[in-house]
Amino acid sequence: MSRGVLATEKRGMRELGAEEHVGWDEVTQGTLLPSFEKDVDAAHVRPEERPYSDFNSYTATVASWRVIKPVYNRDICIDCQNCWVWCPDTSIVSRDKQMLGIDYDHCKGCGVCVEVCPTNPKSLLMFGESEETEAALAKWPEKKKKAK
Amino acid sequence: MAITSIKNLKEFSTANERFEGAHLLCPGCAHSMIVRELMNCTDDNLVIASNTGCLEVSTAVYPYTSWDTSWIHIGFENAATAASGAEAMYKARKRKGTLKDPDAPVKFVAFGGDGSTYDIGFQWLSGAMERGHDFTYICLDNENYANTGGQRSSATPIGANTTTAQAGRVSYGKKEKKKDMVAIMAAHGAPYVAQLAPNKWKIMAKGFQKALETEGPCFINTVSACTTEWKFDPKDTIHLTDLATDTLMFPIYEIIDGHELNILYRPKNIIPVEEYLAAQGRYKHLFKPENKHVIEQIQKDIDAKWEYLQRREEARV
Amino acid sequence: MAEKMELNEIEVWDGNYAASQALRQAQVDVVAAYPITPSTPIVESYGAYVANGYVDGEFVMVESEHAAMSGCVGAAAAGGRVATATSSQGFMLMIEVLYQASGMRLPIVLTVVNRAVASPLNVRGDHGDMYAGRDSGWVQIDAFNAQEAYDLTLCAFKIGEDMDVRLPVMVHQDGFVTSHTAQNVKPLQDDVAYNFIGKYQPYEEMLDFTKAVTYGAQTEEDWHYEHKAKQHKALMDSRDVIDRVFAEYKELTGREYNRVEKYFMDDAEVAIVALGSAVETARYAAEELRKEGIKAGVVAPRCFRPFAFDGIREALENVKAVSTLDRSCPMGAMGTLFNEVSAALYTTEKRPLVSNYIYGLGGRDFSVAEAKRIFKEQKAHADAGHLTTPIQQFSGLRGPKLGFFETKRGN
Repeated sequence: MSRGVLATEKRGMRELGAEEHVGWDEVTQGTLLPSFEKDVDAAHVRPEERPYSDFNSYTATVASWRVIKPVYNRDICIDCQNCWVWCPDTSIVSRDKQMLGIDYDHCKGCGVCVEVCPTNPKSLLMFGESEETEAALAKWPEKKKKAK
Repeated sequence: MAITSIKNLKEFSTANERFEGAHLLCPGCAHSMIVRELMNCTDDNLVIASNTGCLEVSTAVYPYTSWDTSWIHIGFENAATAASGAEAMYKARKRKGTLKDPDAPVKFVAFGGDGSTYDIGFQWLSGAMERGHDFTYICLDNENYANTGGQRSSATPIGANTTTAQAGRVSYGKKEKKKDMVAIMAAHGAPYVAQLAPNKWKIMAKGFQKALETEGPCFINTVSACTTEWKFDPKDTIHLTDLATDTLMFPIYEIIDGHELNILYRPKNIIPVEEYLAAQGRYKHLFKPENKHVIEQIQKDIDAKWEYLQRREEARV
Repeated sequence: MAEKMELNEIEVWDGNYAASQALRQAQVDVVAAYPITPSTPIVESYGAYVANGYVDGEFVMVESEHAAMSGCVGAAAAGGRVATATSSQGFMLMIEVLYQASGMRLPIVLTVVNRAVASPLNVRGDHGDMYAGRDSGWVQIDAFNAQEAYDLTLCAFKIGEDMDVRLPVMVHQDGFVTSHTAQNVKPLQDDVAYNFIGKYQPYEEMLDFTKAVTYGAQTEEDWHYEHKAKQHKALMDSRDVIDRVFAEYKELTGREYNRVEKYFMDDAEVAIVALGSAVETARYAAEELRKEGIKAGVVAPRCFRPFAFDGIREALENVKAVSTLDRSCPMGAMGTLFNEVSAALYTTEKRPLVSNYIYGLGGRDFSVAEAKRIFKEQKAHADAGHLTTPIQQFSGLRGPKLGFFETKRGN
């Protein structure tokens, strides 16, 4: 399965429901869920540097929801960040104003990023989940001429 | 308030995300677009309360949370009150000197769907607005009880097909018009009230920042296109929202201090409402000849509301 | 800093004022409340403390009791001391959130001035509201007079906030009979009371921003059961902490409290089990009857929850006949005290005769004469070796005699 950029140690490490089902003596008091293992000021620390706890959905994957996936073509991208702002699954990884790629652990394949991509041809296109990235890039369409 | 730059999307994209993936919202759901944008608008600490609803059941199912901030859910109706309580505790502890970091900036935010905002949580929200707590309430308005399979709420527009106001042989769907929650909130004298939409990301981000910066209770109704219950392809969420704002089905405006109304977005080309309705399965039945009058009614209502908003704005009252 | 209040060694306070003073002395950070008869004076007195600088916490007057408890939950999750008050219909409106508070393990203190539940509407005291809280996961402590309402409210903070408990606590008192009857109360001075409770210790608070925490997660069939069982165990285990706090309070004040209160029980042959102000009535009746040679005693579950299954068994295993008095209409069943006391006694060797009286609904007076009559009836059961009346009867009810179920089971 495609994993994509900045796949840090904990990201997407298990399917939802695959976590260990511990007994009553080990569940958290008050059903509380601490987001991190250690103190962190998340607003000022990048995700890849945060001490996520196993309770953070960052550590889970929903990749199995996907039947189609977006493939990113860096050569055409203008880093407009449309895909970043409208991604409902926090799955467009942008750092220092640059689009780096797709977080395939959290992407559900909705296709919004492709629809909002303004380049011609698009820098993001949907392919079947099993399509290899190289093969997808090889199939990339040419620039479309504007209809008169 | 520490503001993230929203000058352009490149600047905005440097925000450190605090809403994590692998939540359970539907692919293409606008809720998370709106929530992400709110959380990316500031790097202040956030205490967030959520009513029961799609957002809540999708972001905090044991043993996972998608929130990198303090977050609480109590019941269907009381996020505004949970935020009130937390805000009151903040004030008390700040005064008494028992906060761990008394100088850390914090904003209190409550999220509710339209069911919990317009219907079951209406009283709790009204109470919190009247009491003047320093918080921002954001309604994720998808015009139905989507979490439970698409029942009508008082935010459902006339003519929409829902499971409890069904279109059928003798019915065109919901008979009643949508409640005007923005006006009701403005009538509370709230310092900042707005209706915003995620397709206009910059207007929305500005509105969010304004609400967070404003002292006192602020209310924002956000248009949250629901791929599952409005019945459109998940990839089209933003396109559908464009139709919502450009047909003026969802005009984008703010009301300051309960009276000063400003229209924040004027479509260059106002699109007839048919186009918006035709793009969604929930309005399919309106295109039968016998239901034509409902579409006409919807268009008439939109025109009247737009006229009203423009006159209100001009009047500067 | 809040002003201190100089208190006399003996004050004349009613139960409401006694409870409000305990809230003031606990230096509660947030009180979110909505007034309802007969607990309104607790909230009003607190309002007067706020207006005159005796409180430096926040006082949030919300628009309903549901919101009152919701505000309390939000505030408690934000890491400070929280309390409120209610009665009757207000309690019923709070119930949804009572479960949320205990599920999130938030040590909120709720002073409940017990009142009947409509319909028909009634403002007087009975235990319909208290009983409705019995599965809500709260510690429920019952005060029988104003002094106890004061003492036990102070103890409630210390019990609930104990790191081994972290559960919300209700302190009950009877509407009007306790809440509005002025009695002599010996209060502690402000510093002494506050030091007894101690400084509030937060646990996973929402205002510690480097430790992001999610409150109120959902659990389905793969997790819900474990969480509920863990909470149940915490409530069961709170018994030890309650005992310890009561012992510390006795050390400080000389006033003794027990999870099960026993009066004249050392050699008792017949007993009444009751809650609330009726305990004092029954005690007086027992004392009188002892002059006539009837060995009467009274047992009162000071802790309605966690229910002292052990303490009840121990208190009653040697009596011959017990009447359990329920001040709430059980509607199609036996009274709660009857069911719980019977269950405890069923596990004893001698299994005393147990019967049930419904009494005092909607504030109907419960007199010493009636308590005496019930004791004497127990004596008749004991002498006959079996119950001589229906198992469930009604005390002080007009109309034809009402009763349900019979048994000739002997000892």
